[in-house]
Amino acid sequence: MQGFALYPFDPPGDVAARRDELRAWLAVNQPQGDIVARANCWASFDADFSRALGAAGYVGMTLPARYGGGDRHPLERYVVIEELLAAGAPVGAHWIADRQTGPLILRYGSEEQRERYLPGIAKGELYACIGLSEPGAGSDLAAVRTTARETAAGWRINGQKIWTTGAHFSHIMLALVRSEEGSERGAGLSQLLIDLDTPGITIRPIIDMAGHHDFNEVFFDDVLVPHGALVGTRGQGWQQVTAELGLERSGPERYLSSHALLAALIDAAGADPDPAVASLIGELAAEMWTLRRLSMSTAAKLAAGEDPMVEASVVKELGNAFEQDMPRRVQAIVTSGWDDPDDLARLLRALLIASPSFSLRGGTREVIRGIIARGLGLR
Amino acid sequence: MSAAREMLCDTARAVFAEAAPAGMGPIEEAGFALLLVPEDAGGFGGDWGDVNAVLQIAGVVVPDLPVAELIVNDALQPAATVSLMAGAMGQALALSIEHVNTRQQFGRPLGKFQAVQQSLAVMACEVRAVEAAAAALAARLDAVGLDVAAAEFEIAATKLRANRAVGVVTAIAHQVHGAIGFTREYELSRVTIPLMRWRGAHGNDAYWAQLLGRQVAEFGGKGLWEALTAR
Repeated sequence: MQGFALYPFDPPGDVAARRDELRAWLAVNQPQGDIVARANCWASFDADFSRALGAAGYVGMTLPARYGGGDRHPLERYVVIEELLAAGAPVGAHWIADRQTGPLILRYGSEEQRERYLPGIAKGELYACIGLSEPGAGSDLAAVRTTARETAAGWRINGQKIWTTGAHFSHIMLALVRSEEGSERGAGLSQLLIDLDTPGITIRPIIDMAGHHDFNEVFFDDVLVPHGALVGTRGQGWQQVTAELGLERSGPERYLSSHALLAALIDAAGADPDPAVASLIGELAAEMWTLRRLSMSTAAKLAAGEDPMVEASVVKELGNAFEQDMPRRVQAIVTSGWDDPDDLARLLRALLIASPSFSLRGGTREVIRGIIARGLGLR
Repeated sequence: MSAAREMLCDTARAVFAEAAPAGMGPIEEAGFALLLVPEDAGGFGGDWGDVNAVLQIAGVVVPDLPVAELIVNDALQPAATVSLMAGAMGQALALSIEHVNTRQQFGRPLGKFQAVQQSLAVMACEVRAVEAAAAALAARLDAVGLDVAAAEFEIAATKLRANRAVGVVTAIAHQVHGAIGFTREYELSRVTIPLMRWRGAHGNDAYWAQLLGRQVAEFGGKGLWEALTAR
């Protein structure tokens, strides 16, 4: 237990030079629109920006070159991702395809699936969503009931997904479905890659409390997809999904969602801040520095082929608490009014409203703490 | 951990166990004062990674002896205190896990109750954060040759982070232990009382938060990120 070691974060190449290149590229290419779009920016959709980012080689970086990828090391990608998030770049359109679906198709997909989907993902033009939650299967994901039956013509899908982020602009959904009749819980599930323009799919918006359209309901009414839509091994969907969820928990997006607010607070405070504001900035900076080190170490472990499930959950738990508490703590100390037109006030209001979702998405706080408890040997 | 550091830690465990009842004598005799002294000057030639590992053990086994004062100079005491704290927090967590897996109430171990599991998960996150911060501070100190001024940001961030973890860690450790943890006989207080003491020693929360906050204010909003990624 003692002497918990940090895994060295050591990407190949000249990292400082790569950072400078990306910062210079962002200075030219990042949209200079509303500053509020820089908060929680991995939910900000901008197709033009995603395409430009892909053309510059910053999407699908870890995919092999033969599929249009960059053949880069996972930690080179990590550096790019943290720079994009710290800058508040609108990466929401291609985010899930780049982070999750692309690597999963590479790992479990057929050659046909790789050739069909990966080049578009690496261009930042093909967007994906994840079909996990259902009305009766939220935190209890193993309760999934959407069925897929294998017929002579292909897989026939019936059921409903919900809280599907980006389904309305995505081209494909990677869905967890019950492929084996009469199966229960984690057994008998499979992953299908579904083109969302297939007949029988209905996508309805759910507007969130911030007034945004991020998530959706997706209905499947006798939807027929080819046999080749199966990803990985039939009946192994649960194992594949659990591995996938582990990958998405420890990235820099778990603590940087509110970074634009911290930067605005520091700028508003000036070089000689009020002592109470200086204290808050100091506390936030200490937490952020610690989280970044933890997240980098976990990424390095993942890149080395280890499975730091518990550490990844620790990053998510602490990171979400940090980015969720920050707006509340900033509001407690600044004099901004709710409707003030300045940047700090507008970022603050947007993040106060967005922040309840931070400890829901990607696994609720309670589920994450349960995973940590299991890692401690308590379950 | 390197083989040399493993051996160093084994020695530290053995010597500190002897020192726990006997006082500083065995630690001085074993030459721990030479840990950071270069080999060509007759010392052990260790780095801050070694100091971090040794002091984490000291924080558990001999929290009341001035081991940090023996090994490092005054300017590095805040950094040394963080290592003591990380060790003590790890021990508080280990004792808590052991207790809830052993103690039965309502017909099952306390650790089977979700409320207890969730509390310990919160505590484990704080402990991991402090351990990670201590390790990251060690990497920085070793990269700058123990230049305290060059590592001021990391020292401030780490001590502040450790201070802020103490309340969560001690509160949950005591809560899950119940009355037995509040006795003089049981070993939990041998790490929780030192943790409370170290929180106020070598810079309390206000001191480091002011220092760090003013430094970051000089960086500016964009400059904070540039400074973090440049180090």
